Amino acid sequence: MTSVKTLVSSIAYACLLASSVSSVALAAECSGTIRVLAQPRDGLTLLESHKDEFAKLSGGASFEIDYLNENDRRAKTKADASTIGKYNVYYIDEANVALFASAGWVAPLMDYYPAEYDYADFDPGRQKVATYDGKVWFAPLTGGGDLLVYRKDLLEAAGVKPPTTLDEMKEAVKKLHQPDKGIYGIALRGQRGSGANVWRWMPYFKGFGGEWFDGNEPKFNSEAAVKATETYLELFKYSAPGTQTGGWDESVGAFTSGQVAMLVESTPLVGMAIDPKSSQVAGKVGYLPPPTPLTGGGYGHGLAIGTKANADDASKACAGLFIAWATSKENEQRRLEANQFSELNRTSIMTSDTFAKLYGPDLGQALADTGKVTAVNFWQSPLWPDLGDRWGIILEELIAGSRTDIKDGLNELEGFAKELVARSQ
Amino acid sequence: MTSRTRLPAVFLAPPLLILAVLAFVPTAYAIYISFRNRELSRPDGSFVGLANYIDLFSDRRFVNAIGVSLTWELVTVTLTLLVAIVLGILMFEFASARQRAVLTLIFLVPVILPRVSAAFVWKFAFHPLYGIVTYPYKAITGQPLDLLSNPATALMTVALVDVWQWGLFFGVIVLKLLETLPPQPFEAARLDHARPWEVYLYVALPMLKAPLISLTFIKMIESLRAFDLIYVMTRGGPGIVTETLDMYAFSQGFIESGRISYASSMAVLMMVATTVIFTVIWKRVKP
Repeated sequence: MTSVKTLVSSIAYACLLASSVSSVALAAECSGTIRVLAQPRDGLTLLESHKDEFAKLSGGASFEIDYLNENDRRAKTKADASTIGKYNVYYIDEANVALFASAGWVAPLMDYYPAEYDYADFDPGRQKVATYDGKVWFAPLTGGGDLLVYRKDLLEAAGVKPPTTLDEMKEAVKKLHQPDKGIYGIALRGQRGSGANVWRWMPYFKGFGGEWFDGNEPKFNSEAAVKATETYLELFKYSAPGTQTGGWDESVGAFTSGQVAMLVESTPLVGMAIDPKSSQVAGKVGYLPPPTPLTGGGYGHGLAIGTKANADDASKACAGLFIAWATSKENEQRRLEANQFSELNRTSIMTSDTFAKLYGPDLGQALADTGKVTAVNFWQSPLWPDLGDRWGIILEELIAGSRTDIKDGLNELEGFAKELVARSQ
Repeated sequence: MTSRTRLPAVFLAPPLLILAVLAFVPTAYAIYISFRNRELSRPDGSFVGLANYIDLFSDRRFVNAIGVSLTWELVTVTLTLLVAIVLGILMFEFASARQRAVLTLIFLVPVILPRVSAAFVWKFAFHPLYGIVTYPYKAITGQPLDLLSNPATALMTVALVDVWQWGLFFGVIVLKLLETLPPQPFEAARLDHARPWEVYLYVALPMLKAPLISLTFIKMIESLRAFDLIYVMTRGGPGIVTETLDMYAFSQGFIESGRISYASSMAVLMMVATTVIFTVIWKRVKP
């Protein structure tokens, strides 16, 4: 028995020694600059004011973040990862994780993510979108689902009950639409893109029972897609000016500047809408889960380890350490204290007393409720960005009126999808 | 004697070599991959012959992009030259030397602005809710004016920004050209009772034919590179009504598909077409 104990303790000591040696080696090797390509996030800006802390932790390494807006970030990360590979860390998202993982542009995160940073603490929905083919590829910086966000004052004045079904929402939107008073019923996204107009259209499509593919066979050219598109186009008649070719910024801008009665948008909108620094309607905002049968668009953005710029294991480990530190509990606590609602991803932070004190019980409840209807609306395939972007263009044409036949648009997309699948094989 | 003849070659060879590498290597590579089916996500790829080129002509976005590019060239070049000539003549006719100096300075500002910054400024100016350009319309009619989201007006609105940048600059050049002309032909025309517009139409402009043709060519080449302006202001939308050939090639190469072989075939076709068209026009109109 004693010999067994001795053996166990020897192995334990050996492991401890090995791990301390490896962390010393790691610390010694993390000395250069970790280059990060990301899209603007308040949490990352906050991170940049704690560079010293990372230098101390890593044994002297620093980091530099280049920022590009969402569409440009997607294009640039794809171009960089497939060619020169200048960046050690890429900001990727639910829509392109499958592409980046299957092309070998990013490394499996958990192989280089120090266990003490507790990946399991991240919100389960966000862990799900960061996983592809059974492996985790990024640590979340932001994510969530959808919420129906509305102006309590306008609804009360018009005697409209906050809608819980799509039919109620359509009625409410029509009633609250008063362009002569500068108030528009809703704000949707018209700008082309799998992460723009298609993202907001998908809850209708999935809510009406639509499916993208069955194996390699396209299934989306269906009654559900036609009905979803008709509904989306009908609602667009009441959407704020500028949103016809606008994305998240235009919709959110129109709402926070007080020109929109209600909208279904990604959860970070709430943080912006209730913050008097970024919103003229703070204090007048209510929130609910998306009206039935809409599904919430589950999403997650985060940091992943680039494979080209990190040729060896040591540099991958440095990139992994940076990602772990950037998304750590300590840094998330700082974001909470800085009132960066949309940058919170850890269960321990979102269930903390500070969170409840800052945002009240209503928001916590709404987030919990919307979690139940949050779904993966897009096609989880490396081919998704290509297909989604093509539908985005057709949808934008339908919204702008340069095309009127929905079925013809879907037929065109189906032909494109078949070609796409054939090409990939 | 031999050393004297070799000296220019010695100095010229290094820069020419650098230029050749910079110009020919990417061109040759673009031609090479246009015959393959290379995609960004797959480093392999095989020889597909002319398949990419053949596919292009059944691609409605490519056919649309040709139309948009031609319209863009025609509109921006014509309007820029028109604005430049009218402005140049007006300044020459009515402005004092001091006024000309001030106007010249003002008219040079737009072209000095980086294109992306100018595009952002104008995008906000055209915003239907907050834009300074659309505000008077909204104030008078009570209706918002969304020029960039309307398929009928989007391309012309972006073209307006291009003309604002280059028309004013070319106006200054036209003014300076008019100032270099000898006064005698003008005086002779006036003595023959020519009206002011006749003086310019029949005397001044024919005298400026050669530099005006050069300006036209400069603008034609510049208009081909309007990618940044269109990308910021409309991203090719609404739908595909402002999607020029370079926008579509970039979209296929980097934004949507990562089909760099397909994108390269468009680039090669563009290169061939512009070389042929420019050569033909140049030979026809050579002063």
